[in-house]
Amino acid sequence: MKNKAKQKQIAIKILATIFSFLIFGLLWEMLVRFSDVGRVMPGPLETLQSFFEHFTEKYSAYTLPEHVWRSLRRVLTGYFFAAIAAIALGILMASYKTIDAIVSPLFNMVRPIPPVAWIPLAILWFGINDGSKYFLIFWASFLSMVQNVYAGTKSADPKLIGAAKMLGANDGHIFLTIVLPSAVPYIFSGLQLGINSAWAMAIGSEMIRSTDGVGWLIIRGMDNNNLLQELVGILAVGIVGFALASVLRGVEAKLCRWNKRGT
Amino acid sequence: MSMEQERDLTKRQMIVCDHVSKTFYTKNTETKVIADLNITANENEFLVLFGPGQCGKTTALNVMAGLETATSGTVTVGNEIVTKPGPERGFVYQTTALFPWYTVMKNVEYGPRARGMSKKERRKKAQYYIDLVGLGGFENSFPNQLSGGMQQRVGIARAYCNEPAVLFMDEPFGHLDAQTRYLMQEEIIRIWEKERRTVVFVTNNIEEAVYLADRVIVLTNCPTRVKKEFIIDLPRPRNYTDDKFLNLRAEIQDVVDKTL
Ligand SMILES: Nc1ncnc2c1ncn2[C@@H]1O[C@H](COP(=O)(O)OP(=O)(O)OP(=O)(O)O)[C@@H](O)[C@H]1O
Ligand SMILES: [Mg+2]
Repeated sequence: MKNKAKQKQIAIKILATIFSFLIFGLLWEMLVRFSDVGRVMPGPLETLQSFFEHFTEKYSAYTLPEHVWRSLRRVLTGYFFAAIAAIALGILMASYKTIDAIVSPLFNMVRPIPPVAWIPLAILWFGINDGSKYFLIFWASFLSMVQNVYAGTKSADPKLIGAAKMLGANDGHIFLTIVLPSAVPYIFSGLQLGINSAWAMAIGSEMIRSTDGVGWLIIRGMDNNNLLQELVGILAVGIVGFALASVLRGVEAKLCRWNKRGT
Repeated sequence: MSMEQERDLTKRQMIVCDHVSKTFYTKNTETKVIADLNITANENEFLVLFGPGQCGKTTALNVMAGLETATSGTVTVGNEIVTKPGPERGFVYQTTALFPWYTVMKNVEYGPRARGMSKKERRKKAQYYIDLVGLGGFENSFPNQLSGGMQQRVGIARAYCNEPAVLFMDEPFGHLDAQTRYLMQEEIIRIWEKERRTVVFVTNNIEEAVYLADRVIVLTNCPTRVKKEFIIDLPRPRNYTDDKFLNLRAEIQDVVDKTL
């Protein structure tokens, strides 16, 4: 019974998604065909066709998947180290008052500065090529993750900590079995924010100066007045961003099974 | 000295609260919650603390368990003065305090695991207590998949599984529906008769007090102190509508009405 209802719900969801894409595509196509929009915008079918053509055809030196891969490599490298640093610093700040007292003022000062403001300095410090990109991606995602890790580590219920102590757990065991699990949902929303910032920064920094990557693809499209290329790039950015977020959500759902109600 | 009290002296004293008081200090207020508490519980006794809502029952239990420190006075459990929480004492909470990310099994085996017992041994022990509280088959369920009554059973099994010398229970059935509550009262006595421990059980339900207790200690309003104590010398299993039961209940009610 329950399973059937669930299947039906999923079917409805899929149908609704297809429907909304169809409507959107139709409106887009009509606008392009029957209005002036057509002069500044290729139609959806044309875009899709070009999108798939560039799986084999090259823009400059690389095919579309190769450009995507180059951007992804930058994102994942910067993001990986940012996540480790943010989790470590967030936990340390939340666990030790002295560290918190020393780091917080600095952190509060730099946090409101949009990461893009660092672009010129980053290029000066780490070079115009991948060095500055790694740094900017790292910084942008680090900033958006630290606070969540911090809040998560602080979120453990004192009653549960008391219960663990009553059962004979020492501080280390309490950290591993109570504090960390309480923090996991917060850490994941941090990771989710972080991957968004990292991806945005990767595309942005590729637009500034690069010879490959999806950001470069888009900006090259602009330089050459190639609207189709721009749109294909934007489409790829959207798909990859969605995929990254989905992977994280999947991992979270696995780890936080207890957070969900029902079976 | 009455006959009963004399008889008590021959038993080993497990818990002694000696002139315990507790005041909470906040920025510009102080709340005296426990005035002066002198309580003893004998080995393997089922002691019920009965008091009105907000009188400081949870605070008293927290102090005895070591979760709060007394402002003055001492609590001794066994031969040791209580200064911090520890596994020699078990605690069952008023509202569920299960670890939501752990299954029933992992909740129940938490204490033995924290103290380094081997997996095989602690699994066996946990299974015994899970079965004892009637939750066999739910080992792999998460707390939020269980009803309130079942969650309290897990809490009881978790406390028992650590095999503490004394158990503190803070209104564990307070938020259950009447039907489940009666059932759980029966169950807790069955478990206690099987696994004898010193139990200090807090309630604000007079019927529950008379049903469970070897001895009922009636507490006053906040700041609380002992008003009077009653030995409940009824055979088990007890009957809620038995004449003797009802008489005792009325007798206690009388004292409560006067003290409030
Ligand atoms: N940490 C605290 N700081 C300040 N006041 C507190 C604290 N803990 C309890 N109190 C106060 O002490 C009083 C008694 O609280 P306590 O929870 O011990 O009563 P209780 O008898 O267990 O109540 P209930 O019947 O609701 O379970 C309350 O008025 C409460 O506001
Ligand atoms: Mg209470």
